[in-house]
Amino acid sequence: MRLKHLTSRVFGNGGMIFAAVAPVLTVLVAFPLLFVILQAIFPDIARGIFANPFSRFVVTLFDKHLLSWTLNTLMLGGSVVLVSALVAVPLGILRGLFRIPFAGLWDVVFLVPFTIPPYIAALGWIMALQPRGYLEQITGINFGGFLFSFWGVVFVMTLNVFPVVYFAVSRMVASIGGRYLEAARVAGCPPMRSFWRITLPLTTPAIAASLLLVFAMAIEEFGTPAALAARSGFLVLVTGIEQRLSDYPIDLPGASLLSVILVLIAMAAFVLQNRIVSRRDFQTVSGKPGASGAAELGVWRIPVVMFFAIIGFLGAVMPILSVILTASTRTISGGLAADNFSTDNFAEIFANSGGAMEALGTSLSLGLGAALITGILGTMTAYVVVRQRTVSSRILDFLTLMPNTIPGVVVAVGLILAWNQPWLPITPYNTIGILVLAYCCLLLPYPVRYANAALRQVSVSLEDAARVAGAGGIKVFFRILMPLIFPSILAAMLLVFAVAARELVATILLAPIGTKTVALFIWRQFEQGSVGMGMAMSVMAIAITMTIPVAVAIWARKQGRLF
Amino acid sequence: MKSLKTVLLAGFACLTLSGTAMAQSVTVYTAGPGSLIEKLAAGFKDESGIDVNVFQATTGKVMARLEAESSNPVADIVISASWKTATSFAKKDMLLDYTSANAKNVPDFLKGPGYVAQGISALAIAWNPKSGTPKPTDWTDLTKPEYHDLITMPDPAQSGSAYELVAALTAQPDLGWKLFDGLAANKMIVPGANAQALNPVLQGAKAVVFGAVDYIGLAQAAKGEAIEIVFPKSGTVIAPRPMMILKTSAHPDDAKKFIDYVLSDAGQALVAKTQLMPARADVTADRPLIADLKILEVDPKTDRKAVLDHFAKTFGME
Repeated sequence: MRLKHLTSRVFGNGGMIFAAVAPVLTVLVAFPLLFVILQAIFPDIARGIFANPFSRFVVTLFDKHLLSWTLNTLMLGGSVVLVSALVAVPLGILRGLFRIPFAGLWDVVFLVPFTIPPYIAALGWIMALQPRGYLEQITGINFGGFLFSFWGVVFVMTLNVFPVVYFAVSRMVASIGGRYLEAARVAGCPPMRSFWRITLPLTTPAIAASLLLVFAMAIEEFGTPAALAARSGFLVLVTGIEQRLSDYPIDLPGASLLSVILVLIAMAAFVLQNRIVSRRDFQTVSGKPGASGAAELGVWRIPVVMFFAIIGFLGAVMPILSVILTASTRTISGGLAADNFSTDNFAEIFANSGGAMEALGTSLSLGLGAALITGILGTMTAYVVVRQRTVSSRILDFLTLMPNTIPGVVVAVGLILAWNQPWLPITPYNTIGILVLAYCCLLLPYPVRYANAALRQVSVSLEDAARVAGAGGIKVFFRILMPLIFPSILAAMLLVFAVAARELVATILLAPIGTKTVALFIWRQFEQGSVGMGMAMSVMAIAITMTIPVAVAIWARKQGRLF
Repeated sequence: MKSLKTVLLAGFACLTLSGTAMAQSVTVYTAGPGSLIEKLAAGFKDESGIDVNVFQATTGKVMARLEAESSNPVADIVISASWKTATSFAKKDMLLDYTSANAKNVPDFLKGPGYVAQGISALAIAWNPKSGTPKPTDWTDLTKPEYHDLITMPDPAQSGSAYELVAALTAQPDLGWKLFDGLAANKMIVPGANAQALNPVLQGAKAVVFGAVDYIGLAQAAKGEAIEIVFPKSGTVIAPRPMMILKTSAHPDDAKKFIDYVLSDAGQALVAKTQLMPARADVTADRPLIADLKILEVDPKTDRKAVLDHFAKTFGME
């Protein structure tokens, strides 16, 4: 009895979980990132030499572009956060509070942008909107001027990342339920006021956590700003990193150092987020039965559905349409002429079904593996962070965000430096295990942030009550906490699955010899000039990847809850 | 919790073991094109029975992986798209000194101590004949008003061969930076690496690529794309693709056999088939060869950073 009491106390404070999580995170995240930092300081660390520390600092930090690149990075990150918030927060709140027609469909549609690799989405938009692109071939107008500008980049990036905010907010709002609004209504509070005074503040942790993720993604993404805005002279820090790794001579120390700057920017955003969240910590899930059931939209039904449809069209349908058109035309220069349409590209994929199917199988298993591992690990980390609130748990929290702020290619370099050390007795390097490690490291932030926001809502008194009733720590965790936060974690796991199934940047560098993934298959087609075949593979990969979220959505519907 | 960890550890152990159990094999790190190395690997396997493990990426990514692995090297052979990698690796004494018997018909400027060209690409003008613009014949044509706002170029900061083109052309006494000032006035865009420069020209948003990689354009034309490769009459730069065996190679004998194979009649025929120029002067290809081109030299003493800075400034990329 005494022993049980003791363990449950330790477990209750997150001590035991901390003891389990900290070493795993050290190996998974801290170990490779340590090598990124070492590489920034010691130029010859790759050879195991600690000579000439800081010798690359001056030449990198006094680069005359550095200031403008940093400011551009901040401007881009800030703008994508702003526009994502404007689009996705209303969508999420509407989804959580009201009975939206075709709600399950919208959830699935909004997951589609995540399954489209950013470089494919950017290329899809270019081929649709540039002069003589598909839109001009059909309607005679083009939006090249807008697309190849700063706001064009913000537009495309927002459409790539807004689902992160949408899923976090909608799950959070749904879990709070309409109970507080109900109370406000009874107390005579007008709807708009109760929205500003109740719904929005209660949703703040989810909004802040997901916008932090958006910010981290926006400052580390290379493909979209490079494809769309580099031509108009808008360069960001990642441009500088990519330049240092794109042709001979490469500059690993310089790339690592610029990544450290990105981490510092993200750290500032993280501190800001914590300030916002810690001032507004409302434990709303206290175990009292909520007036469950979403409200009716009434006359707003049609405008709201229009809103969902427009965003769904722009985020999912437009880029995919452009990808499908490219995949189904014989040549790009032939355009949308009737005699240029053909199924050759798809036929070739099927003819090479060995390679393509193998790649699909590998990518799907990697996606599922990464989703499961990050889901479990992320929940445990978030639990420690939310319940412990010590300095060490804060550090753990930031540690899990860091990989998301560093370009995948630099994380990959760190992973090689770390895991190819000759003194390691065993190593996952040059096995598929290194890709699992890489995806878990890069994508852990999603489940951590989602679970973090969800856990903040769950009152400690629920756990205490369960313990008083004699439940052990593990039982409390799985019987009380998990059911309450599961919708958030499941949504985060689906995001991880979608990204891991199509990750390219780290994969190019890390893939063990002979391993084929979907993204590598597509990239090789592009690189050989077979854009159409690459696009055909993308279409198939997106379709097959989406079967999992669709299955989850159908299952969740049967269970009568959000996925 | 404990059982989960055991499972994960066991999983890792299995993966590690399966990764190290390999038959007689040689590991090649190579820049594209991927189809070429696939065919070379298959042909070599047929002839010698030796497996080829391929890591293929861009030159930059190949170098990044090599550099990151340098405390515990994995590669036997490196094939790069940048000649400079070979000369600088040789200078750092990283290469195994090997001259293949099959290299005797490779011209002297395409081989050195420990390295030899696999094939050669050249930079050219890629022009879309459906663009309604006159067919250009030389670099300077593109400063004419007919091409206003219709030109793209790969970024010399991201593409080594594009840098060499800028370095070579700006060193011409009669051109200097005047040519690029004219291109900037003609609103030439620099949208990224080679593929990003070609795409707008294929779809017709732009009409010409200034400094396109020739074999990629030739392959596109062969596939029926409306694209023509023009070798400018005043000359262009070439990019020989060096092959080298690393000193750290654990399989030097197999690696030598692979180099021999790439330089054999069969290997060079595969190189020619991908529209690259073969390294051996006695092997023909269905495309203009080195002897047909006027080749511009790049002074090795050129200050790369200064050229890139000047270029970036000219095109407002700061």
